[in-house]
Amino acid sequence: MLALLAACSQVQPWERGYLAKQEMAWDSDPLERALNDHIFFSKEASSGGNTAAGGGCGCN
Amino acid sequence: MSTNLRHAGFRAMGTYCEIQLYEASRISAKRLVRRLIDEVSRLESKYTRYRDDSFLSEINRSAGNQAGIKIDIETQKLFEHARSCYEQSDGLFDITAGVLRRVWDFSRRKIPDESELEGLLPLIGYEKLNWRDDTLLMPANMEIDFGGIVKEYAADTLATLARELGVRRGLINLGGDFAAIGTQPEDRPWPIGITHPEDSTKMMSHFHLSEGGLASSGDYERSFILEGKRYSHLLNPKTGWPCSGLRAVSVAANLCTVAGSFATIAMLKPEQDAIDWLTDSGLPFVFMDGAGQIGGPGLTDSSY
Amino acid sequence: MKKPASRSLIALSTSALALPGIAEADAPPLTSSLSYKISNYQEDDLSREQVPFGELERYDIDVHQFQFISPLGRDYALFIDANHENMSGASPWFSTAGSNGQPVINMSGASGIYDSRSEVSLGVRYYGARGNIGGAIGYSEENDYRAKYVSMSGSRNFNNDLTTLTVSLSHSDDSIFPSDAERFNRVRHENKQASSVAVSLSQVLNPVASFQTALSLTGQSGYLSDPYKLQDSRPDGKTQIAFSNSLRYFFIKADGALQSDYRYYRDDFGIRSHTLDLSWFQNVTRSFKIVPMLRYYSQSAADFYTNIDDFLKPLSESQSSDYRLSAFGAVSGGLSFVTDFGGWSATLTAERYVANEKYSAFTVAQPSPGLVQFTRLSLGVNYAF
Repeated sequence: MLALLAACSQVQPWERGYLAKQEMAWDSDPLERALNDHIFFSKEASSGGNTAAGGGCGCN
Repeated sequence: MSTNLRHAGFRAMGTYCEIQLYEASRISAKRLVRRLIDEVSRLESKYTRYRDDSFLSEINRSAGNQAGIKIDIETQKLFEHARSCYEQSDGLFDITAGVLRRVWDFSRRKIPDESELEGLLPLIGYEKLNWRDDTLLMPANMEIDFGGIVKEYAADTLATLARELGVRRGLINLGGDFAAIGTQPEDRPWPIGITHPEDSTKMMSHFHLSEGGLASSGDYERSFILEGKRYSHLLNPKTGWPCSGLRAVSVAANLCTVAGSFATIAMLKPEQDAIDWLTDSGLPFVFMDGAGQIGGPGLTDSSY
Repeated sequence: MKKPASRSLIALSTSALALPGIAEADAPPLTSSLSYKISNYQEDDLSREQVPFGELERYDIDVHQFQFISPLGRDYALFIDANHENMSGASPWFSTAGSNGQPVINMSGASGIYDSRSEVSLGVRYYGARGNIGGAIGYSEENDYRAKYVSMSGSRNFNNDLTTLTVSLSHSDDSIFPSDAERFNRVRHENKQASSVAVSLSQVLNPVASFQTALSLTGQSGYLSDPYKLQDSRPDGKTQIAFSNSLRYFFIKADGALQSDYRYYRDDFGIRSHTLDLSWFQNVTRSFKIVPMLRYYSQSAADFYTNIDDFLKPLSESQSSDYRLSAFGAVSGGLSFVTDFGGWSATLTAERYVANEKYSAFTVAQPSPGLVQFTRLSLGVNYAF
């Protein structure tokens, strides 16, 4: 893991233009993510993942 | 969608500034330009040394105060960049060197004597600034200023703000410090002319800029010649005497702030050191040396 | 600029990129933004084979989402979210054995169970020198359900902002008061709480790729059963864990980005699941992109799932015929068109989801007759000012 991190320091700071693009974000469309989380929470048994659970609804 | 090139010129940071952008409607361009001008004014009011009510003046007034002064995140980051410049220039770029203005007068061609300079040298040195978390403790009589950083930072901030407001193609020009947003239509870069240091009607070089920044530094405006000797207004913080290196340099980089730091530091170094250091960076640059010769890998057809 | 960088270029670029007016990573927003998204969600009708008597129609939902983000001073940002949903339709009430012994569904009345739902949340975030921290509170209300929740999260950057560690916590407090409770002998008023913690680590791998790994743990307690099912009795506590990994990769030559997300989930009801999301963001022009997406989901059945209700079983024993607790797989595909002009951005999305026991990656002992298929259409707009 440490070796991987050391290799990662090869990214030069000014090379981050690509990483800053909207399509490279963890959440490119927050409302879409919220909608999907809500739909799948009410139609499937799984939830959670990368953030702590948010709001509640009577749909599950 | 047809877009037109809109211009707006205004005065800020003590110089003529201009924003060019390709924008669909005149109304949104106007609103956009107003936002950008507001942001430049904010930075100017905060960091100008010409106003007593600026935050910079408040920082300088806190020199010698045991309680120190609390510094906000933006200013903290400017200090960090200033420190980076101090380290990369081996101490030649030093934001505490402003005290030398007390004994030099470039408009009246006044040269100080050695004793005056020696009295000031103990007040210079970035390493003398003390920090306790986000509080700055500045020793008495020291002074800082962000000249050489703020104008370039402002150009980059305006470019980022414009981009967030939806601008896809634009050019910010704050008195010769440029930040580009995208390119001109059909992927054409922004053509920038770099004025000849000695003859403002002539071009020293042309540069094509795409999505990045271009900054220039030169001693032609404020330097003077006395008894055959040239005195540059760029002073060496370690001796108090002017540097004698390049006469002018323009550098292009991914950010105007970075370009500006390279240009300013290069002006402070001895001529050959400056050229070697700039070459080593891989950035396009153009210079005029002490003998008036123009050179550098950034000439005419170069682009960033 | 292909030449390897000098030490000076690295150092000066690093400090310049950290400046708030320029910083892309974890900086407070420079502009305000307003977003609105309207969606229509429609489930396919069931067939007569699945539902011998009663309504075949399932849910039809309209969703409105609003979000307002604004910088507050130089170092803070404000987040306001509001949602409203209108729903109509029916849902499975109980399952019995049909004429040939296969499970069949009996639907609830077409007047629908949930009519409308409104939700609002408010959050504030502080952006410091090395990270950020923030919290939010929220409230949602339906004619038979009320939820209050609070959450907090903080991020810290390391390694020149190449590595980010985020921790988040949340807690919610819900009340259920089913409609027609007396008439159908349902519980009158019950409560449920949930607490959750999540940790995630993001790492920039190279100029075009970044990776994130996250773990979340949630505990629920209280009334977890479905009051609208004739016989549905679930344990009064549930612990669940989810482990997810995400990749973002930009392909320079193609001018497109790949987003890949995988999640493994497990809880003590006996459910395990795999979720794989893949999206491809294709830039067509500077202001237009097309985004196809694909999702594969599969879950195992809950320990107490049965596809035919056993009304002789005492309520003290867990039992549910809720299709959402059965073993199944689901495949969904979608397409989005994203365009932007001036400070505006618009997104049109269409998605089709099909659940089927044949798609399951887990053993299906008792397939549910009530698996859902739906179509979703959304239009979103965003304005930065």
